[in-house]
Amino acid sequence: MMKKIVLMLAVIAAIISCKNETKKTEAVQKENEVAVVETPEILIGEFDAKAGDFVSKEVKIQGIVDHVCKHSGKKLLVVTDDGSIHVTSDVRFDDKIKGNEISLIGTVLENKIDESYCLKMEEDNIKSHSEGASNKEQFENKKKHIQQYRDAMKAENKEYISEYSLQYVSHSIVE
Amino acid sequence: MKALRKWSRILHRDIGFFFIGTTILYGISGIALNHLSDWNANYSVEINEFKTELNLNNSPNVKENILVLLDKIDNSKNYKKHYYPNSNKLKIFLKGGSSVVVNTKNGYGRAEYLKRRFLIYQANYLHYNPNRLWTWFSDAFAAALILFAITSLFMLKGKKGIRGRGGIYTLLGIVIPILFLWYYI
Repeated sequence: MMKKIVLMLAVIAAIISCKNETKKTEAVQKENEVAVVETPEILIGEFDAKAGDFVSKEVKIQGIVDHVCKHSGKKLLVVTDDGSIHVTSDVRFDDKIKGNEISLIGTVLENKIDESYCLKMEEDNIKSHSEGASNKEQFENKKKHIQQYRDAMKAENKEYISEYSLQYVSHSIVE
Repeated sequence: MKALRKWSRILHRDIGFFFIGTTILYGISGIALNHLSDWNANYSVEINEFKTELNLNNSPNVKENILVLLDKIDNSKNYKKHYYPNSNKLKIFLKGGSSVVVNTKNGYGRAEYLKRRFLIYQANYLHYNPNRLWTWFSDAFAAALILFAITSLFMLKGKKGIRGRGGIYTLLGIVIPILFLWYYI
């Protein structure tokens, strides 16, 4: 009797372990399937029009690095003949990357610009200029920039406009 | 107290010697990076203005003319990439961070050559903490600065020590950042 019980338990254990193994294999397969999903590529010239569909999702872009922020080293301006994209990053970029053509993967960020945002920008602009952190030219350029936001909201008859940028994930140099 | 004074002097002196180079390096780059709005802390910039008759309008074969232009004003081997920010403007990127901008309509151009500032570039590179090993070393340096501050309290006795002139200086050094924070935050 005891032998039969042990045998039955062994058979049940074997069946369960087989099932778990199958589940594990299925899980690994699913993981692999997820891993091979390609990141959608957006042309820089079409970024502003299409980015709204990819907010918080990863996309791939390709362009030339025109500028690396000299203060933080963590902001890039990636350009083509058709437009430009601002990229922010948690890591610093070596300024040698300037002028390289790169393929970059990043997460789309949406920045909603409304009147309160413009007022805050205005306040910061006046403050930084009065403290000597920005010169007259920078001060005037920022003022123009704020006015452009207001004009765009007025032209589109909206309470806010969306500006899109990328949060850096990875990149590779295109030769 | 005598032993504490003695050890404060020994540690302050010997660790101080060890970190002289690092202190100067951080000091130099600290000043350089403090004034990023006023100057380019890593590169000196040389501007060269020119005029060209070459056709640099956006076309599939324009790279040939770009290389000819570069041979005239710099060296075509320094070419990296180019693009058109707008229909009248060509921007050419050169090796080493330099760039050339040309108005394709009237041929007027401006080359901006960057040259690394000797010592300051290297100091800034380290100040920005380039890798894990340097993180450890700079952490040790930061810990040493704290140690210097503490040991300096016990190094001298009498009028010049913490109970005299040294105490006034110490208080001033603490009060100034507090006043600054109180005013600005």
